[in-house]
Amino acid sequence: MGTLTIGCFSSFIGSMNLDFAFKLASAAADKGHKVNIWFSGNATTVTKKGQKHLKDYSHGETPLRELIEKGVEVCTCEACNLARGIQKPDAVEGVQWNAMQWYLAKIYGSDRVLHIGGE
Amino acid sequence: MKLAVFVSDYRNTVDTLERLDVEDLGIVFVQNGVNHAAVKENGEPSPLLQKKARLYALSEDLQTRGFTEADVDGRVKVIDMGELVDIIFNDYEKLAWL
Repeated sequence: MGTLTIGCFSSFIGSMNLDFAFKLASAAADKGHKVNIWFSGNATTVTKKGQKHLKDYSHGETPLRELIEKGVEVCTCEACNLARGIQKPDAVEGVQWNAMQWYLAKIYGSDRVLHIGGE
Repeated sequence: MKLAVFVSDYRNTVDTLERLDVEDLGIVFVQNGVNHAAVKENGEPSPLLQKKARLYALSEDLQTRGFTEADVDGRVKVIDMGELVDIIFNDYEKLAWL
């Protein structure tokens, strides 16, 4: 088994890149790989809790909680969150808050890295 | 180097790939990028299919866009997310997202 780190610099809820990052992370975790996800930029808004899961509408909180339960390590950029008015008490439990060095350290220690670019 | 390039768009990525010179290249069509695998324009398939590379397309992204495997060019292998994870870990060292 290996370690995959995904850097998610996608747009908001509704972004196909965000959905893809969740699905790939889930599939890799299901196969027994260690998975890390880093959120930056607008992707950090997916960490806000209290999202309403509407039918047939892209959604972040539910897959995010499922990934954390599967043991995926999730970290969000603190600066990006605060800049978007999301304080730690507003965020989904289990999401780590840190700065870019967390992502860089994970990249250094991973077998595979996928940096999903900004939109 | 063994590089897998994820092509997630149908318009803006062709020139970037032109400049890539990689020993072992894989191109993975995902999201709107799967159109490269199934759509012909003026009767011509996507120029990306002529690249010297192993070509893959993600099945769920084909299906959500109304394509079946019969629509997919024979040079492209249709894979699911689990197979994509295997390819990432077993067949390529570096990954790029376009």
